[in-house]
Amino acid sequence: METREKILHAFREQVARHSELPASVIALCEPLGMSERDFYNEFGSLEALESAFWEELVAKTIAAVESGAEWEGFDARQRMLAFLYAFLEKSLDVRTVLLFRFRHLSPVASPEWLQGMERRFKGWAFSLIGKGVSNGEIAGRGRLVVLYPSALYLLLRSVIDFHVKDTSPRFERSDAYVEKSVNLAFDLMRTQAIDSAFDLLRFLAPRACGKS
Amino acid sequence: MGEQTTLRSSRLGRMAAFAGTGARVGMNYLKHYGQRCVGAPQDENLLHERNAEAVYKTFSELKGGPLKLAQMLSIDQGLLPDAYASRFAQAQYSAPPLSYPLVARTFRREMGKSPLEIFDSFSETAAHGASIGQVHKAVKDGRAFAVKVQYPGVAESLRSDLRIVKPVALQILGVRESDVEDYFREVEERLLEETDYKLELQRSQELSAASSHLDGVSFPRYFPELSCRRILTMEWIEGLALDRFAKGSANSEERDRIGQALWDFYEFQIHTLRFFHADPHPGNFLVRDGGLVVLDFGCAKKIEPEFYRRHFRFLDERLLDDRDALLSSLEDLSILLPGDTDAYRSRIAGLCAESIEILARPFRKGFFDFSNPTFMRSIYDLGERNRRDENLRGFRGRRGSPDSIYVNRAYFGLYSLLHTIGARVHTRLPDWLRES
Ligand SMILES: Nc1ncnc2c1ncn2[C@@H]1O[C@H](COP(=O)(O)OP(=O)(O)OP(=O)(O)O)[C@@H](O)[C@H]1O
Repeated sequence: METREKILHAFREQVARHSELPASVIALCEPLGMSERDFYNEFGSLEALESAFWEELVAKTIAAVESGAEWEGFDARQRMLAFLYAFLEKSLDVRTVLLFRFRHLSPVASPEWLQGMERRFKGWAFSLIGKGVSNGEIAGRGRLVVLYPSALYLLLRSVIDFHVKDTSPRFERSDAYVEKSVNLAFDLMRTQAIDSAFDLLRFLAPRACGKS
Repeated sequence: MGEQTTLRSSRLGRMAAFAGTGARVGMNYLKHYGQRCVGAPQDENLLHERNAEAVYKTFSELKGGPLKLAQMLSIDQGLLPDAYASRFAQAQYSAPPLSYPLVARTFRREMGKSPLEIFDSFSETAAHGASIGQVHKAVKDGRAFAVKVQYPGVAESLRSDLRIVKPVALQILGVRESDVEDYFREVEERLLEETDYKLELQRSQELSAASSHLDGVSFPRYFPELSCRRILTMEWIEGLALDRFAKGSANSEERDRIGQALWDFYEFQIHTLRFFHADPHPGNFLVRDGGLVVLDFGCAKKIEPEFYRRHFRFLDERLLDDRDALLSSLEDLSILLPGDTDAYRSRIAGLCAESIEILARPFRKGFFDFSNPTFMRSIYDLGERNRRDENLRGFRGRRGSPDSIYVNRAYFGLYSLLHTIGARVHTRLPDWLRES
């Protein structure tokens, strides 16, 4: 294993077994026979380490779905669905860590340790939106199209939120939630309903929308 | 893609929807299962035709469990006004499609492989919807398969739907829970069984093997190695749905042949096998090359010998002339209870005599023309009259046997299918009722 992988692995073990974050870089590295220097060669801080951990979960999910046989034929909606199902599947390997970190986190909170995941996902979602616009699934004229990746990120976070609270057998309710929420999101983006709502809001309360 | 737009999935959402129209339906639903002979209070306007639309809408929005209940109602044409019955009969065609990624996920989770790793091709959109799943068409080595995939979480939402519908229904009906508990348990058990495709596979194989000698009836082949709890794979059948066949241009000879096949199939299952396909709605049969193909053994029911003897005594018209025998048969089935008053006993006896007369008609001459509208009409009328009968309201006690629910359902379904087909069939009472 590379140093980087070893540290990421140790992080996961630590959180999963003890339900707490590593107390310090030393505490994490010593049992691995590594020095602080080794650690800082890879990560700038413990937050950066955790950020990389969650980013990697998203990156691996993307790699897995994009290598699937059906991927090329999928439209944007199906790609989003495939991503979320694959994400739920992958997250089963780190469920304890997921529970520990997300159970009490608001789906709209944006802590330091999620920056990597957010960046990585939004980058991917940006090209997804591009595909949706080019094949007509998403209305491309709206001013808010640039914000759609953020909307999809919010959707991902709401799925995680639902999933960590789900106790149904085999988490079947999470599957149903993904199905329904993705359908709703794409229906809204297709009709520019989000833009229209924003437009109305801006008309009624210009200040709230950043226009004085 | 025509995927669903609005779906009320939260418990609260379902609750709200039920509070509106579910109450009405719960009542009708209980009505049937609360025994044909047993009437119950009913507000006339609740059954007004325009409610059919509202009730139907609620059900089809909720999908899953409630849609199943709606289908059970649709079969019960004897007790539902026409407007309801025909609305609900359409329910089986209007379930929401699952997205292909979810189908693929179900495959990966249940079989460890994606659809395309198993089949050479697999239709991304469903060929047919159904109440708790959808059917895809797949091809492997040049052979076509029908692959039924179940919606996630169906079994669970079914349980909670029933929990919601029950108290509402009980309250409006003014029935005590203890009086109808058995009926609810029976329906719940059967509905839950339908969510287990492994069980369905096993029954399909058993029942089709046992019935393979019947003329004009055939079954798809099933593939256990391609099936599991949530996925059921069978041979693809290229055929005409039974309701299309009925509406189509088939001549009377063709109609009679399909009708006869249907009749023989049920007669054999109920009176010989004593284990039967309890879901005779038009979506579960196809017509291919002039023969009948039977699909979907999700809902199957076993008849215990004791119950069999007690229940089918009522096919015997000699009971009509023998009042004591009639009363004791009613006691055997606990439709009459020891404490009942004489007035009540004779009221029930009268009603039962009437229904025996009607329901046994197809057997009387050994040949029966189901296209005759007066026959179906008199079944509806009988149900309608029972429903309105003031005297039948408000009596208590556990009556009848929950086993009769599905037997009655099968017969109602069979009679109304034969009527829509417009078939004339040869009939025959079981031997033990003909002799002695
Ligand atoms: N082997 C098959 N070949 C072709 N079509 C089929 C086959 N099996 C099922 N279908 C089609 O799919 C529809 C739904 O199938 P089926 O009745 O088995 O599903 P279900 O979930 O049990 O639904 P329901 O309870 O509403 O009957 C059928 O009405 C029929 O049109």
